Amino acid sequence: MLITWKYRERDTLIQRLDPRARIIFMLAMLFSVIQFWDLRIVLGFLALALAQYFLARLTWRETRRAWLLISILIVIMTILTFLTGRGGVSTAYFEEHLITRLGPLSLPIVGWQLGLDITVEKTVFAVTQMTRMFAITTLAITVPYTIDPSLYGATFRGLGLPDKFAYAMDLAFRFVPTLGRDFGITLDAQRARGYEVEKLEGGIIAQIRKLAPLIVPVTINAIVSGEDVIDAMDLRCFGIGKRTWLQKLEYKKADWVLIALSTILFAGCTVVRIAFPALGYVWVPQWVLNLS
Amino acid sequence: MSDTAKKALTWLVVLVVFVALMWIASLLTGPEGTKLQGLAWLLWTLIAAVIIYIVYFATAASPAWVVGTRQVVYMAIGAALYGVLTWWANAAALPSVSLVSLRPTVCLPIFFGFVFGPVVGFFTGAVGNILGDFLTGWGVFPVWDIGNGFMGFVPGLILLFADKRRGLNALTIAVAVLVVIAMAIILINPVVAHPWTGEETNFGGWVWVFLIGGVVVIVGRFLLEKAGVDLAAVNIWGTLGIIIGIGFASIADIWINGYTFFVAMVGEFTPAAGSNILNAMILTPILLAAYQAVQARTGR
Repeated sequence: MLITWKYRERDTLIQRLDPRARIIFMLAMLFSVIQFWDLRIVLGFLALALAQYFLARLTWRETRRAWLLISILIVIMTILTFLTGRGGVSTAYFEEHLITRLGPLSLPIVGWQLGLDITVEKTVFAVTQMTRMFAITTLAITVPYTIDPSLYGATFRGLGLPDKFAYAMDLAFRFVPTLGRDFGITLDAQRARGYEVEKLEGGIIAQIRKLAPLIVPVTINAIVSGEDVIDAMDLRCFGIGKRTWLQKLEYKKADWVLIALSTILFAGCTVVRIAFPALGYVWVPQWVLNLS
Repeated sequence: MSDTAKKALTWLVVLVVFVALMWIASLLTGPEGTKLQGLAWLLWTLIAAVIIYIVYFATAASPAWVVGTRQVVYMAIGAALYGVLTWWANAAALPSVSLVSLRPTVCLPIFFGFVFGPVVGFFTGAVGNILGDFLTGWGVFPVWDIGNGFMGFVPGLILLFADKRRGLNALTIAVAVLVVIAMAIILINPVVAHPWTGEETNFGGWVWVFLIGGVVVIVGRFLLEKAGVDLAAVNIWGTLGIIIGIGFASIADIWINGYTFFVAMVGEFTPAAGSNILNAMILTPILLAAYQAVQARTGR
């Protein structure tokens, strides 16, 4: 059985906009924000993303679960990047100014020396990375709660995708919550049998093999369930002739304005990034630099 | 014009177009390698489109390219599965010069491509990666999305052959040669300085990953042939898909991120492709065997 995103009809400025215009705006924001590592610019994007979120009148109560899950992931990844100094994003600083040095701590038995250099650039980068990820997440979280799932297909078709690919995108988005739930159920069921994904033992090959009880049932179950969807679509003669969509989307003036603004935003950001390459690197405020 | 001449001409066109586009990319990125980095992804997306279209036009008559109801549904399921499971797996980052995570889910685009064709494979890899990165909050990395697409696209090309055994020996040799080349690149320059922090990392240990992965894939191809040609072929095609897909994305990063050849190949390609080969060579045959068992039971 398919479950859906937690969409709810609201009479808000955001929901009155055409979903195609909103997707174009979101893509423009995404491709613009990933060009910068300057915190001042990234904060601007976060403000824009938050404006969209609040204009959509989403409540903490309905988005709490999604926020908590994603926030935990973002914080863990930022801490990991901070601790290792690499392994995260293609970072953007060339020299480091030391604030303090923690350790070295000598591990018993193995005798490894663990130390952590806390530098100005590493710290500012971590803050920028977190801000950037939250800006993108704020954009992403708004979509499933404010775009009617029955409009996904018509939206992608309206963006120029062929019918079949538009329908595939529609289904892919609709399947995400269902498969997410199935994955959770499988994980719980395997845990009930004593399977601990956090404590896989053995060599690297044995550990990978032990992931099969998680990945295989979810995949095979999805494929078997897919047969019902195929039957239902075949019975309705899917793909036989030119497809029509139940709901028709039409751009209004506000949508054209949003598309124009999105285009200007992306083009402007690209020109600025080319003209001022320094904005692609971490910006360190003088007062933070003084800490070193 | 004979068939051989036609094929030779097609591949010559592929080569010329590819070299021309690389040259244009080089011109656009400028001598300092940073001038148009913000737009280089657009050019590499175009390069990928040209490659795919050339392969398509050269084999357009094959039923492998048919997109019917079945393919539409499996494209959606594959992409959603890859997205959800990748979101879960993205938490395990690997030491590299960029965002590389340990992805046991790499078996999904390979499996969907191998079973349902190149279009389903490409869609699963590319859209699934977009979904996974989007759910994680990482943003969009077009060339890596396309690279993931290639990981599903290449194994799907097996459906172009009526006999799946055809060309398997040649492909096995190709995979062996590519693995040896990857190992040689690591051995020539095992220590890579992080392009931004300057911190040096030794990737020499990955030689063993490629060696073990290569040997298991090639030996497995001969051992599994007795159980079925599909099980024998899936890892060879999958490994080829990983090398081409990750290779494409890593080489593109020379222009997009301004990496040197060794930073891209040793610091980025090596951890991504090495871990993907290990994951795929173990999980893909298990997944395929499970699917074949279900298929035999349900008759579909």
